[in-house]
Formats: sequence, C-alpha cells, structure tokens
Amino acid sequence: MSWGTSKVSGQQSCDKLCPEWECRDNSEYRGVWVVGEVDENGIIEPSLQMLTPAKKVASKLNAKITGIVIGHNVKQFARQFIEYGADEAIVVDDPRLEMYAPNVYGETIVSLIKKYKPEMVFVAGTMKGRELAPYIANHLRAGITADCTDFDADEKTRDVFQIRPPFGAVLLAYIRTPNRRPQMATARPNVFPLPPRDPNRSGEIIEEKVDHVPPPKAKLISRKVIPRTETPIEKAELVVGGGKGLGTAEGFKMLQELADVMGAVVGGSRKAVDLGWIPHERQIGQTGKSIKSVIYIAVGISGAAQHMFGVREAEVVVTINKDPSAPIFSQSDYGVVADYREVVPNLIKLLKELKEQVKKGETPRIE
Amino acid sequence: MVLFTGSREVMRVRIVVGMKWVPGTQSVRIDPKTGTLIREGVPSIVNPHDLPAVELALRLKDKYGGEVIALTMSPPPAVKGLEYLVGMGVDKAILVSDRVYAGADTLATSYVLANAIKKIDKDIGKVDLAVFGQETTDSSTAHIAAQTASWLEWPYVYYVRDAWLTEEGKLRVERILENAVEEWELDMPAIINVAMKSLKPRPVSLLNKIRFKANPSTLITWSNNDLKLDTRCTGLKGSPTIVAKTVDVPEVPRKKQVYTPKNGEDAAKWILKALLSDEKASKALIRALKEGGEKA
Repeated sequence: MSWGTSKVSGQQSCDKLCPEWECRDNSEYRGVWVVGEVDENGIIEPSLQMLTPAKKVASKLNAKITGIVIGHNVKQFARQFIEYGADEAIVVDDPRLEMYAPNVYGETIVSLIKKYKPEMVFVAGTMKGRELAPYIANHLRAGITADCTDFDADEKTRDVFQIRPPFGAVLLAYIRTPNRRPQMATARPNVFPLPPRDPNRSGEIIEEKVDHVPPPKAKLISRKVIPRTETPIEKAELVVGGGKGLGTAEGFKMLQELADVMGAVVGGSRKAVDLGWIPHERQIGQTGKSIKSVIYIAVGISGAAQHMFGVREAEVVVTINKDPSAPIFSQSDYGVVADYREVVPNLIKLLKELKEQVKKGETPRIE
Repeated sequence: MVLFTGSREVMRVRIVVGMKWVPGTQSVRIDPKTGTLIREGVPSIVNPHDLPAVELALRLKDKYGGEVIALTMSPPPAVKGLEYLVGMGVDKAILVSDRVYAGADTLATSYVLANAIKKIDKDIGKVDLAVFGQETTDSSTAHIAAQTASWLEWPYVYYVRDAWLTEEGKLRVERILENAVEEWELDMPAIINVAMKSLKPRPVSLLNKIRFKANPSTLITWSNNDLKLDTRCTGLKGSPTIVAKTVDVPEVPRKKQVYTPKNGEDAAKWILKALLSDEKASKALIRALKEGGEKA
C-alpha cells in the first residue's frame, strides 16, 4: 500500500525533536486505552462506544485493550469496561479526585500514561472529553485528532490511522502520527455503536495509586442540572429533521406536530440552527449530534455531507424534498419528490388513523 | 491587573482574544496530493465561533476597563479579519506570521500562540485572560484553548457563556454542558473557551474602523524574528500529526427508492407503506404509536 507523500514511519532522532518535547523510545509504547468518563450511574455510554474502534485497532496491532476509570467511589464501575470488551481496567479511586477539574483529571491521566506507556488513547468526544483530551495530549507533547469517524492501523509501523472528514466533509483525511507516542483521538458520541455486553467476561482490574494529584486550578462553585423534557435527539428511536428547505421557522411547527403524533424528536441541519429555527443541541451532523434512530425523516434537507455524517447509523432514511436533484435522494432509502406542506399534513392524518388501529389492537394498514 | 477591592472602576483587565481567518464557504476543495485545503479563490472570514469570544472580551472591558488584544497566527491576509475585530472595539491586533509556522497542526499552532501571549505579557503588559471561540468552522477540533492552557500552565474551562470578576480578583464563569449549567471560579491569568452562539456579537462601528486606519500602531506584526522560537517546534516540524492521504467518503448502503407522487396524500401513503413493510421500522413505529403521542 502506498501512502502518497507521507513520511516513512519510525523513530525520530532526538536532536531533530523540539526541545520542549521529551524524547521517547516509541517501541516501549504498547496497548490501546479507552479513557472512561463517569457519572453517578457508571461509565457513560459514549466512553463504552469507544471500545468499538479500540477493538478494531487492537486486533490489527495484536494489542491489549485497557479501560481507564478515575474518580472517587468509582471502583465498582471498572468492571463495565470488561463486560463491554476491554481486556483489563485500571482504576484510580481517590478522594482527591472527587471533583472533576480539567487540570486535576488531565494531569492524573498524564501520569498514568507516562507510567504504562499505551500507544493509542481513545477519549469519547463528549463536551468534557473535548475539553480534557487536548490538554492531556499537549501535556505529553503528543498528537491528537478530534472527531474521528473511523480508525485503521498499519501493522508494520503500528501507526493508527485516525480518519476524519476535513472541512467540507467531501473527503476523508487519514491522519497519522509517525514519530510520536502515544497517539490520541476523540470521536463524537454515537459515531460508533456500543459493543455487545457480556456480563460473564473476565478481565483484570488493576487498582492504581497516584502519589501526586495536583490541586484544582479551576473550581466548580455550583451545578444546576437542566431538566430534559424530551428525549435527547441522539437517543431517540424516531427522528424528524428539518432544513433550510422548510423556508420558514413555521415549517418546524408542522414538523413538531408530525413528531408528536409518531412520538419522534425534531432535529435539523446546521443551516436550520444558523437560521435560529432550532437549538444547537438538536443539530444533526458532523458538528452536531450523530443519531442512531430506527427511522429518520429528512424534510427540506438537501443532503450536505456534513449532515449525512450524522445519520450514518440511522436504520431507515426517508426524504421529503421538492427538488429532484437534491443529493439527499441518493443517500436515502425512501424519497418522495414533493412539497412538504402537502405531504406532512397527510402523514399526520394517516398516522392518527394508524394510531387508532393500533390502539384497537389491529394490525395497522394503509388502504 | 490593577485591583482595588470595592472600587470596580479600577479593576482593569488585559484580555487576549484568539481569531482564526477561515474559508467562508463550506464547499472548499481539497488538494488530493497534500490533503490540505485549497484556499485560492475562496473568500475568507473571521471564524464565526470566535465572535462570541470577542463579544465576551469586550463586555468585560466595558465593565472593568482595560484592553482587548486580538491575536492570530496566519498568513498576512488575516489582517482583514483583525481589522474587523478592531471595528468591533478591540484595542490592538497582533498578526503572528512566518513561513516557519506554516503547516502547523494544533500542537504547533498552540505553541506559537502561547509564546505570543508570553510576549504580550512581557512587552505590552500583564495578560489576565485569554479567550478563544469554542471551535473553528474549518477544522472544528476545539483543541487550541486547552493546548494553550497546557503550554502556559494556566487554569481553563470550556463552553463559557458569561464571565465576571469577584471582589477578590478571581474570574467567575458560567458554562453550559449537555445537561447542566455550571459556575466555576478560576485564578487569573486564565483561559476560557466561549460557547458557540452564546453571545450576539456587536456590529462593526465606522468610528472604530477609522481609528484603525488612522492609527497604524493598532496593528502589530510579529514574525519568528520577534518570537525567536526554535523552528523544530513550529510548523510542519513541530506537528506530530500529518495527513497521510485523503479518500472519498464511503457511501452508506441505502435503498435509494425515489417516488414522484400524484399528490400529498399519495406521497404520505407511499412513505407509510414503505415503513410498514420494513421489519425494524414498522416495529419501532407501531411501538411509538402504542406508547406515545398522547400530546397529539
């Protein structure tokens, strides 16, 4: 395989390195890590999802997968990593890690990485993960790639290809870190599926102690949880999305009505967010959320690559668009070329009829 | 920072705000050989997500006094972007530009920015706060604020939508996460990353633009002769990551059935028939119709 203009991988001589970078023997770095973000219920799903690319990379490199859990009273969560496919877990359970602060968690993970020397570190690209991961990478003077959508590895050089869509999302860039370890990457939640859980899987749980935990440089004063009245879009089974083609903010009211009838959540394209028609947390796409709904109904969405990235994991994509040349038609399962103003009210009406049939215990049928 | 407890007017703050000059369109081309963006012929703009950061910096200056200094590492055309920020009310603008900075990944970029902040600290005056936009529209990594904080060893937090100073001279911020609003306190100097779309940026004023034209000292240009950084730490050489190659986005397999209906009702029927004939889709739909939809 040819990698075009890329450099030949290998150890860089120390005198060529930036003097701010510690010179390392890259061959000492082995193994694939997943850093776990923890909430009161355990390791959050986006972190467990990172075991999916970790497995792909680890099997190519014949490497061990290690889950990392740090915090206070978190020991019991470490097993979750094993059940979802890690070979082992390292846990640091320390009262000094009770409160998250970027420098406290960041530097604790840095000290673990310096001790165990993994070659690849995955961090879920949640908001906290995106805050923390670049700090860890930079403290190690290591490379990091954000928002990867796929990974691969070169067995010979043990370089991990961190694959991400660059600006415009029409091409995928293969990013590699030829002379530096560890390699680090983040991926947004739901870009990768959750691996299957096996409660009987066994693996070692290593309880690690750290001597030095830095004092927090930033302190949490208060926290107010925002009550969620509706299912977050990334967890919804049924999603209706709107784009610029709706023409007006009013169009979203019609979509909301459709969503209410079928029990779906409304999202939209970046353009719809930019126009202020929907809030950013319901943006579907590369710079928003990735959805994994069973049904996605895209209305007035042209099908820009950035948007379509966010629906890769959706099972069935339905499109309503009056422009037959919209690129979304070739990326959908079922498309109708029609004005949504005529289609959506009819969908609402028919779905109400179906609901009646279902409530009577009948098999729903369309005449 | 000058600080006298109880007297707000004299709490002056010096704030550096980062800016990136990015292609103004989503449909840019990529050089298949190098994997880098083809910038020729693509008009550039100030990264839209930097504008709430500029606005927050200006609001802090309005409230406490002091100065706001815009900073960018970029080829010279980015002066246009700096001019825009001066038009918004930024006091000084610094362009850091040198061939040896070209081809930098985020590690090498943040290295130059961190050292530029150190130079501002030394040459212009003590920096209390550095503010960055949440991410850029052209690469959207959101790395720079954390990496710069790491180089400088300053405290930092992300996704800030409001900030103020306490009487003790600490920085308080409100930040927004997926499911919570948090208040944090940071010692200064500090770095904050400002949540996208969190603040409406003020318009450019003509008066400020004239000020820029009339006072050339508003714009400062530094090359590596000024920063004197080891060139093994900058540009391509200072970047651990490289773009190895680019490929076309793989297609997700879809059925691609397209129907041109007679009317809206026909369209709705066709869609629902298709969904009911799909095993997984029909199960999910029926379950949802059974359980929910009480609202409707």
